[in-house]
Amino acid sequence: MKETFKEVPSIWTTGWTDILNTGTWRSAIPIYQKRLAPCHSACPVDGEIPTWIMLARKQLYHEAWSALVVNNPFPAVTGRICHHPCEGACNRGEYDGAVAINALEQYIGDLALSEGWTLPHPTIELDQRIAVIGGGPAGLSCAYQLRQLGYKVTIFESRPELGGVLRYGIPRYRLSKEIWDGELKRLLALGIEIKVNHLVKANDLSSLERDYSAVFLALGAQNSKTLPQFSVDDLKVFKGYEFLERVNRGEVPQLGQEVVVIGGGSVALDVAGTARRLGSQVKVLALEAMDSLPAQPDELTESLEEGVEIYAGAMVQKVNLGPERISLDCIKVTLDEAFPAGVLRPIPRSGTEFNVSATSVILAVGQETELTGWDSVINIGQSLVKVGADLATSRPGVFAGGDVTPAERFVSTAIGQGKKASSSIDRYLTEQTSDSQSLSKTENSEDKVAYQEINMFYFPEKARERKGLVPVEQRLQNFDEVRISFNFEQTQSQSERCFSCGNCVECDNCFYFCPDMAVVKDSSLAEHYSILDQYCKGCGSCVQECPRGAVVLKEETGR
Amino acid sequence: MGYQINEEKVFNSGHAACPGCSEALAMRYIVNTLGPDTIGVVPPSCIAIISGPQPLSSMRMPVYQTTLEASAASATGIARALKAKGNDHTKVVAIAGDGGTYDIGFQSLSSAAERNEDFIYICLDNEGYMNTGAQKSSSTPYLAYTASTPAGKPTPKKNLAEIMAAHRIPYMATATTGYPEDLARKVAKAKGIRGLRFIVVLTPCLDGWGLADNAGPKVSRLAVETGVFPLYEVENGEHYTLNYGSKGTPINQYLSLQKRYRHLNQAQIEEIQIEVDNNWQRLHRKFST
Repeated sequence: MKETFKEVPSIWTTGWTDILNTGTWRSAIPIYQKRLAPCHSACPVDGEIPTWIMLARKQLYHEAWSALVVNNPFPAVTGRICHHPCEGACNRGEYDGAVAINALEQYIGDLALSEGWTLPHPTIELDQRIAVIGGGPAGLSCAYQLRQLGYKVTIFESRPELGGVLRYGIPRYRLSKEIWDGELKRLLALGIEIKVNHLVKANDLSSLERDYSAVFLALGAQNSKTLPQFSVDDLKVFKGYEFLERVNRGEVPQLGQEVVVIGGGSVALDVAGTARRLGSQVKVLALEAMDSLPAQPDELTESLEEGVEIYAGAMVQKVNLGPERISLDCIKVTLDEAFPAGVLRPIPRSGTEFNVSATSVILAVGQETELTGWDSVINIGQSLVKVGADLATSRPGVFAGGDVTPAERFVSTAIGQGKKASSSIDRYLTEQTSDSQSLSKTENSEDKVAYQEINMFYFPEKARERKGLVPVEQRLQNFDEVRISFNFEQTQSQSERCFSCGNCVECDNCFYFCPDMAVVKDSSLAEHYSILDQYCKGCGSCVQECPRGAVVLKEETGR
Repeated sequence: MGYQINEEKVFNSGHAACPGCSEALAMRYIVNTLGPDTIGVVPPSCIAIISGPQPLSSMRMPVYQTTLEASAASATGIARALKAKGNDHTKVVAIAGDGGTYDIGFQSLSSAAERNEDFIYICLDNEGYMNTGAQKSSSTPYLAYTASTPAGKPTPKKNLAEIMAAHRIPYMATATTGYPEDLARKVAKAKGIRGLRFIVVLTPCLDGWGLADNAGPKVSRLAVETGVFPLYEVENGEHYTLNYGSKGTPINQYLSLQKRYRHLNQAQIEEIQIEVDNNWQRLHRKFST
């Protein structure tokens, strides 16, 4: 009888572990999510800053510009004069200096002008006509957005040229005429009807309403405020905005050798810089202390470089008008901190009296709206047009934005309001329910990417660069622009500094750090990756190793 | 930007490693770099668990599970058998834990290194017998808590990297999972060399060290940036190359993430800082010569 042996197999393995669903161990799963970056959240025009910087980093400049002009038709303008709250919010600010967003925007905006890139034309043409009253930043932005939606738009402008503060208020050395003309020409090429030298009064409104489906009021605030101590009838006393406007129209106001500017905001410093370029010595008297002047810090630095003397925390008590000169009795003050921000209540400090003498005085203490008669047709409060969150006035079909409404007086804020009004007008005309895009930003603001969510290991320190400045002696010779744009190399290296907070750039870290090979690259997906549900154990390494907070872990319940 | 690592799909999903396991991540880059024409040798360890519950395997290559003391001897036998059969392309890799390398398997490894046997030996070093409940090994660092050193280990970690370099083997490298590209590059480099190649990979054990599930790569990088575990290569016991060294990051940033160090007082933290600084300076001198 033959002996039988038990056969021992040479290979014991009969299969692979990938038949085991380790995903059942999990209590949370990673979700790819485009999240709100702090810069985007702070941007007055709701600009998708990480998106266009990412495109610039890839040298896709036309695409970057196209992403910019979705929200703002004037990147070359805002790249120069925006107060850039984005940089104040930038997560990199806590690390090695905020990304130079404003300078990057200028480079792309200028490139668009030099390359002659044109704005996209509307894809549909609607029959409805919209009247935009006021051709400043808010009105032009609203007209642009409405035109993109296909509406027929007419802009009514009381002055001979469009632009408002951009044409008449900002000195040429901050925004050259060529740049502004280029930006405007490109916008008007979309086919917008313009009626310049056309002042719309309150009693014109009802006739406008017959011809137009909706009205946007963007009248601005060009009337310079005055101070009771000063007689504005005297030829030696100038109003700030009017002074800037005259110079921008090409006049040369006769100021004399010594000019005193009253005010501490951006307009006051623009007035001071303009007077310096006209050859005068300039002193600025401001109520606020030096470290709390309302002007932007870089504007203050430039003014000081240009030899403007700043008397911060000072108030004019008495004005002595002579035939050739004005003598100002001044006193040092501190501001009463018990008053809310924006309300100035100076407390004179006795014994600090001093005297300043000047050949002319320019008042730059703020601007008011001109709303005579408008209170009979719409609700006005504190000299401003009352509007709701959607910028609708009390009168159906009439919307308002920019400086004529209670908004921060920045050009970018006005551009943002014009855009917001355009979507409100569109909603009003199409009778949609209010779920606009601008509201979604507010809803998501809780989910802003925080500094702690950025994985610094992936971002070696890299110094921030700033725009260069023309040497002072050269600056004072003329009204040429003083800030020097980034060059190509600077633009490349500085755009690389962007963390792209909350915006996936397909770095593949989530893929490489998964011990379970549960992350799959898939370029056909908007989120670029998918999670293999059957294997993911929910460890969260992909979330932790994402350099920019674009993956979040979501708890799973009821499994 | 980002990592670029070429992988062959040898390591499978569905393996039994804990969520976030650094050792599984290390195995991914080791076997996916070596490719399917490789024979693995694995002693008892977490690696044996991750290799798969019989009869399933997480690695699409032959794996021989040997005894705890015999990884290097088993690898020697397989490498010599392949040579005797005229096979000069199949690679042999032993993948063992620190218990199976620093302690129990050390004799066979040292003698194989002395004979310059032709295989790759990779130690996945999680600084203790983590598979059996976190007892101390000779790799456990000074003052770290383990189940068998409840007041903290009274002696320092054995410097196996330098011991192996002192065998004057063709290639010795240190690596860790927070630097996956560096790890894969070192495995690829070892693959292209003949003789005994040794890589010690620091693989933080989430459970044994007391770490969050997502903290493996982070603590691994802190080990490097604090100077606890510099990443470097030594060729023929002589030529030293530094890849990633100390950035002067204070040791407390590394220790405070780990529950195994939470009993430390300030004086002990400073003591560890001094030891780490001294070790880093001593090692650093070798890169300049």
